[in-house]
Amino acid sequence: MSKTYNALEQAQAQFDQAAEKIELDEATRQLLRQPMREYHFSIPVHMDDGSVKIFRGYRVQHNDARGPAKGGIRFHPLETVDTIRALAMWMTWKCAVVDIPLGGGKGGIICDPHDMSDREQEQLCRGWVRQIARNVGPCIDVPAPDVMTNAKHMLWMLDEYETIHGGRYPGFITGKPVGMGGSLGRTEATGFGVIYVLREALKELNMRIENTTASIQGFGNVAQHAAKLYQSLGGKVTAISCWDNTEKTAYTFRKKDGLDYNALVSITDSFGRIDKEKAIGLGYEVLPGDAWIEQDVDVLIPAALENQISGDNVHKISKQVKIVAEGANGPTSTDADKVLAQRGIFVIPDFLANAGGVTCSYFEQVQSNTNHYWEKDEVIQKLDARMTAAFKAVVDLAKDKKLHMREAAYIIAINRVVRAVKSRGWV
Amino acid sequence: MNDIVKTDETLLNSLKEREKELNCLYKVDEILSNHQLSLPELFEAIVAIIPSGWRFPDLCRAKITFKNSSYQPPDFIASPISEKCSIKSDGKIAGSIEVIYIKKVPEAAEGFILEKERQLIQTIADRIGQIVFYRDMKLVLNEWETSRKQGEPSSNQEWKVILDFLRDTDQDMLLNICRKMINHLLINGVNEASGIMNSTERENDNFPSSVKPFGSVDDIREKTFAIAGKHLGGNEITTHVKRWIQEEQVYSLAKAVGSISPSIPNIVEELTSYHNSAKNDEALYSPRARWLSVALISRFLSDRPEFVNTAKQYINFRDFVDIANRIIFPTGSRGNLGGKSSGLFLATKILRKEGENNPLLNVVDTPKTWYITADAFTAFLQYNNLEELNEQKYRELSEIRIDYPNIIQLLKNSRIPPEIVKSFSVALDDLWDGPLIVRSSSLLEDQVGAVFSGKYKSLFLANQGTKQERLEALLDAIIEVYSSMFSPDSIQYRAERGLLDFNEEMGIMIQEVVGRKVGPYFFPLLSGVAFSNNEYCWSPRIKREDGLVRLVPGLGTRAVDRLSDDFPVLLSPQHPEIPVNSVPDEIKRYSPKRIDVINLEQRTFQTVDLAALYRDYGDEIDELHKIVSIIEFDHLIKPNKFEIDFEKSDLVVTFDGIIAKTKYIKQINAILQVLRDKMGHPVDIEFSCDGQHLYLLQCRPQSFMAASSPAPIPKDLPEKDILFSANRHISNGLIQNIAYVVYVDAEEYHRLADIDDLYNIGKVVGLLNTVLPKRQFILAGPGRWGSRGDIKLGVRVGYADICNTAALIEIARGKKGYMSDLSFGTHFFQDLVEANIRYLPLYPDEPGLIFNSRFLLGSPNILREIFPDYARYEDVIRVINVRDVADGRTLTISMNAELGEAIGYLSRHKADLSSADRPNEYNEHQTDSKAWRWRHYMAERVAASLDARRFGVNSVYLFGSTNDGTAGFGSDIDLIVHFEGSAQQKLELVRWLEGWSLCLDEMNFLKTGYRMNGLLDVHIITNDDINRKTCFAIKISLATDPAYRLKLKDEN
Repeated sequence: MSKTYNALEQAQAQFDQAAEKIELDEATRQLLRQPMREYHFSIPVHMDDGSVKIFRGYRVQHNDARGPAKGGIRFHPLETVDTIRALAMWMTWKCAVVDIPLGGGKGGIICDPHDMSDREQEQLCRGWVRQIARNVGPCIDVPAPDVMTNAKHMLWMLDEYETIHGGRYPGFITGKPVGMGGSLGRTEATGFGVIYVLREALKELNMRIENTTASIQGFGNVAQHAAKLYQSLGGKVTAISCWDNTEKTAYTFRKKDGLDYNALVSITDSFGRIDKEKAIGLGYEVLPGDAWIEQDVDVLIPAALENQISGDNVHKISKQVKIVAEGANGPTSTDADKVLAQRGIFVIPDFLANAGGVTCSYFEQVQSNTNHYWEKDEVIQKLDARMTAAFKAVVDLAKDKKLHMREAAYIIAINRVVRAVKSRGWV
Repeated sequence: MNDIVKTDETLLNSLKEREKELNCLYKVDEILSNHQLSLPELFEAIVAIIPSGWRFPDLCRAKITFKNSSYQPPDFIASPISEKCSIKSDGKIAGSIEVIYIKKVPEAAEGFILEKERQLIQTIADRIGQIVFYRDMKLVLNEWETSRKQGEPSSNQEWKVILDFLRDTDQDMLLNICRKMINHLLINGVNEASGIMNSTERENDNFPSSVKPFGSVDDIREKTFAIAGKHLGGNEITTHVKRWIQEEQVYSLAKAVGSISPSIPNIVEELTSYHNSAKNDEALYSPRARWLSVALISRFLSDRPEFVNTAKQYINFRDFVDIANRIIFPTGSRGNLGGKSSGLFLATKILRKEGENNPLLNVVDTPKTWYITADAFTAFLQYNNLEELNEQKYRELSEIRIDYPNIIQLLKNSRIPPEIVKSFSVALDDLWDGPLIVRSSSLLEDQVGAVFSGKYKSLFLANQGTKQERLEALLDAIIEVYSSMFSPDSIQYRAERGLLDFNEEMGIMIQEVVGRKVGPYFFPLLSGVAFSNNEYCWSPRIKREDGLVRLVPGLGTRAVDRLSDDFPVLLSPQHPEIPVNSVPDEIKRYSPKRIDVINLEQRTFQTVDLAALYRDYGDEIDELHKIVSIIEFDHLIKPNKFEIDFEKSDLVVTFDGIIAKTKYIKQINAILQVLRDKMGHPVDIEFSCDGQHLYLLQCRPQSFMAASSPAPIPKDLPEKDILFSANRHISNGLIQNIAYVVYVDAEEYHRLADIDDLYNIGKVVGLLNTVLPKRQFILAGPGRWGSRGDIKLGVRVGYADICNTAALIEIARGKKGYMSDLSFGTHFFQDLVEANIRYLPLYPDEPGLIFNSRFLLGSPNILREIFPDYARYEDVIRVINVRDVADGRTLTISMNAELGEAIGYLSRHKADLSSADRPNEYNEHQTDSKAWRWRHYMAERVAASLDARRFGVNSVYLFGSTNDGTAGFGSDIDLIVHFEGSAQQKLELVRWLEGWSLCLDEMNFLKTGYRMNGLLDVHIITNDDINRKTCFAIKISLATDPAYRLKLKDEN
C-alpha cells in the first residue's frame, strides 16, 4: 500500500470528482481544494495542581464566500489537523446544499476532557477564544459544539468573546441552551429534517407515505424524532434497532403491522433503552441487532453510527427497499454505495438528509443576531421549507442530469460555492 | 382422685400466698421510692403495709426499730410467734424489723412463719437499708456542696471534707487513698511516711516478709495526712485525693474483668455503675486503665495482637461504657462481638480521636447499634439441641447444598432462648420504630485476607407494625443471618481459606437504617462504598492511592454489588473534579437508573425506578437538587431547589451538588486517609447520608478481589519469553491462560488508504471478539480503543466489539509525534469496570522496557484461517495462537501496582500466588481440570444419546472452553449442531437439548454452586450457514481451536 488514508485527501478526492464533472477551472479548484485560512496556536492552561500545560488549538475556515464560516469545535486527544480541514470542507458543502448563507469551518483542541476538571476546561475554552477572538465572530466565523464539547463550553466561549469585544454577541456561537440564546426545536431538527426530505423523495417515487413502511437503526435523538414524524405523517415504522446497555448488545424490535411510537417511548428509559420484556408483552418481536437491515420495508433509515451498511451486509437489504435515508453521518461504505446504486435504490445522502441540525443552528444564529426568538412552530415550519427546497434542487438536478443523489448533492453544493467565489471576483 | 384435688388446692393456696407477698413488696417499694416522705413517715407507712403480705394479715403486726426510735401500731405486743431481721446500712446494723402474730395461728408444715415470709421480711429490711444509706449519702453530699458554696472550708481544706466523707462511707477506699498518699510521699523523699503502715522492716530479698497488721484506718489516716499537710499544699492534696478516688472507682470494674472466667453481665454491670459514678477523664491514663482497656478490647472485640495493638491506642475502657447496655448476650457469654462490629467500633474511635484535630472527621456519625455476641449463636444451637449442625461444614459440598434449604427451615422453626428474646424486646424499645438492618458479624469476618463480602447475610427490616410483629420479624431476620453460616457458599469460602476448623460463630449488629421517609418509601439521600485503593484509574492524573468512591442514591446495596444493568457514580475522593464521564451523553448513560428503598407500607425491600420515584415524590426529598442535574439537550444544569420540575425535568443523578456544595466527599476522603494510616492497611468502608450527617456503617480491610491482588512479577525470565513490560499507570491484577493475542499493528493500520478499510478493522476486531474464547484473548493496539477522534489514530470500536477480551492494551509509540500520553478514559470505561476487563497502557519506546515485536510480528497469523474474507487485513490485524507458537504455553500478564510493574510473559504454569493473597472469588480465567473433564464427558454423553435420524442432525461439534480444556466451574458447554431436518424436527431437537441443558445445569449447581440457567450453549447451523461461512459455521474448520466432532448414537 503506497498511500495512507488521510481524511483531507479523501475529501479532496471527492471534490475533485465533482469538479471534474462540472469542468471546474484550475484556479477555483485550487481555491476550494484547501482551506482559505487556518489558525494554529498554543493555549497555556494553569492546571488545578499548579502546573501549566500547553494545549494545541486550531480553527480552520475552509470557505466563507457564501457567509460567515460555520462549524464545530471538537475536543479529542487523538485529533489531527487534516481531519479538521476535511471536516471544514465538508461543512462548506453541507451549508451550501441546504442553501443557508454560511460557509464552512471547523476547530478543535487536542485534549481529553475526561482528564480535566471543569475549571481547567473553562480555562481551555477561554484560552481558545483569546487566541482567535479577532478572527471569529457573528459575521466572520461561528463555532458550535462537536465531539466532546457541549452547551457548557459554548457559554464559556461566548462569555470570553463578549468580554474581549465589550458587548453582547449571542450570534458568535451556536448550541447554546434555550434562554441563553439557544433556539427551540433543536432537539427535533435533525430527525424531522430526515423525514421532510424522505417525504419529498417518496413524492418523487410516486409513493404515498401512508402506504410505506420503514426500518430504523437506532433509537437515539435523531431516530426517535424521525420515527415520530414519519408515523404522524402516516408511515409505518415496522422495525427499530436499539442498543441495550444492560446486555451490551443491540436488538431489533419488530412489529409488522407498524409500531406505536408513543407506546414504544413509554417503555424506553430516558437512556434510550427499550425494555425487552415489556416490548414482547406489547407484541413486538425481538430480533438480533443487525436484523433491521434485512426487513421487507420500503425505507431504511440508518440513524446510529457510521459504516453500518457495508459490503458485507448490503446484500441483505430486501428487494422491497426503495429508499435509504442517511440519518447518521457516513453510514454507507463506498462499496455498499455502489451496490445501492446498481440496485437502483434511492439514497438521500447524509449531508442532505441530516442537514436539519445545521439548518437549525443557522436559525439560532439568526435569532441571536436579531435578539428575537421564534416560537417552536415557526422554527419547525422554516426548517420544513428549507429542507424541502434543498431536496427539490438536488433531485431536480439528479433527474435532469441522470446523476445519483449523492453526486447531485455534491455538484449543487459545490456549484453554489463556486458561484459565490466567482461573483465576488475571487477567481 | 382426692389426692389430686388436694394437691391442686395446696398449689392454689401457695400461689395465693405468693401473690400476697409480691403485692406487699411492691407497695413497700412504692413507699420507699417516695422521696417526699421523711424516714419516720416511711417507717410508719411500711409498718402498716407489712401485715398484708402474711398468711393472716388481720392477726399480723409489724414494728420497725431504727436508731433508738421504734415505729409500731398501738396493738403491737410481745408475742411468742415472731420473726426479726436487722436493717443494715453500709454494712452496719442500724435497726430491725419485727413481725408478730397477736394470737396463735394454725401452724403450717414449715412452722408458724413460712420460709417465703422470712425472705420477704429480709428483702424489706435490705431495701430499707439501701434507702437509708442513699439518704445519708445525699445528706453528706448536700452538706459538702453547701459548704463549698459558702467557701468554707476553703479549697485547700477540701480534702478534709472528702476524707471525712470517705470515713463515713467507704473505709476500704479511705485505706487505699492513704496507701497512695504514703507512696506519693515516699516517692517525693518524705521518709517519715514510711512508718505509718508498720512496714518499717526491710524486706529480706530471699525470705518472705512477715505479715504485719495495719493500725486502725482512722489512725493511719490521721498520721498520713498529718505528714502530708506538712509537706504538701492543701490544693495539691485535694487534687491527688480526687484523682485517686476516681481510680478507686474503677476498682470493682477491674475486678470483674480480671477474674478467671469473667461474666459479661458482671462486666456490663460494673461498666454501667462506673459510668454513673465517674464523670471526668482523670483516670484514663493510669496503668490500671490501660490494662483494663486492653482486657476489654480482647474480650469484646478481638484478641488478635495486631488488632489490639492498634485498638489500644484509640479505645479506652470508658468507650465500652457507651455500648455496654446495648450488648445482648447469653448466660456465660465470653462477649466477642465479631469482626464487623469490631471493625466499625475501632474505626469510629479512630475517627473520634483524629477528629479532635480535623473538623471534617468529628462530624462523622454511626447509627445507633445493638450488638449480639457471637456466642449467642452457639447458645441458640444448644437451646434447640442443634449442635449436630456443627458437623455440617465437613460434609460434601453437594450434600450441603441440597440440605441448605432444609437447614433454613429447621432454624426458622427453632426458638431463640427466652433470655435473649427478652433483650431483643428491650433493644426494640431502645431503637427507633423506623427501619433496621441486621448485619452479620462473625468471628472470622472482615479480617485482613478474609473479608467474607457477601458470604453472610445482612437483612433490612421495615420494623413496622405492633411490637410483637416487629419482634417476630427481627427474630426471623436474626435466624436467617444465623442460617447463612451453613450456606454452601460460606462453607466453601472458609474451606478455600483453610478456616474450616476454626470454631466460627456469628455475632450480629442491629443498626438503625439511616434515611428518611419519602412517600411510602424509606431511604437515605445517598449511600456508597469507598476504597483506599482505586484499581480502575480513569485518568493518568488520578493515583491509585487516591481511592475510589462508588456512590448511589438510596440504600447502598446498589453500590456494593456490581450490577450489570445499572451503574453507580464513580468518584476519586481526592480529585472529585476529574470525573469518569465528562460528556453529557456518557454522564447520562452511566448514571444510576434505579434505587433501593424500604417500602414501609408493604414492609419490604424494593428496587424502584428513579425517574418514577422523583416524579412522584421528588418534592419530598429535601436535598434532591444536590444529587441530580437537569439535562437539557446537551446542557447539564446544576439546579437549585426551585429549578426542578418533577414532572418534566430530565433528571440525571450526578451528585454534582454534593461534590460542590457539601463536605461529604471531603469527609469520605479524610476518613479513607486516616483509617488507612492508622489501621495500617487499605480499607473498604460503607457509608450513608441522610442529607444532614454522614454515617459510617462499616469498615473492613480492602479485599483483594480475584483480579486485583498484586501479582508477583517473575524475575529471571528469558527475554524471548517476555512479550512486553510496563511501568506506568499499573493497577493490580493477574490474567492467566491467554491463548490468543489480537495485535493491531500501528504502522500497518496507519498505512490503510481507504476509510472503509479503517472502519473494517474495527469490525474484524468485533468479529474476533465473538469467535475467540471469552476472556482468553487480549486486544493490543495503537492509541485508544473506542476512539472517536481521528480514525487513523485509534481503532473505531464500540464496547460490544471488545466485551469478551481479558484485557485491553493501548500502545503509545513515541515516534512520529503520535502521542505523548495515553488517555485512559475511553467512553465505555465504566462498562470495563463493571465487567472487570483490565486495562494496560504500554510505552514501548521508553528505555528499559521490553516490547517483543519479533513475537508479535513474526509469529504466524491465523486471521486468514478464521476469516478468509478479511485475509486482506492480515498485515494490520495479527491473530496469534499463543499455544501453537509457544510450544503449548500461554500468555500470563502479571500486574503489580505496589511495585509499579507489569509484565506479559509466556508460561506453562499458572503463577503461584502465596495463599495470603490468593484470588478470593471465582474468576472466569480460573480453570479446574475436574470442571472441564466432566463437561467434556457429559458433552460426549449428550451426543452419544442423540438420535441423528430422529432429529435430522448431521453432526455435533464441541468447541469453546470445554473443548480446549479451559472450562471452569461457571463455564457453559458450547455445541454446534449441524442440522438438516424439518422445522418440526428442529423444534423437537431444541426441546430435547434444553432438557439436557437444564439437567446438566442442576448437576453442575449441586457440585459447584454455579447456576447458569442451562449449561448447554447450542448453536444450530445449516448447510446454508456453512456455505456462507457464518461465524459459528466456520468454527468447524477453524484453525484456532477447531470444533471437535462428537460421536452420535449409532456412529462408529
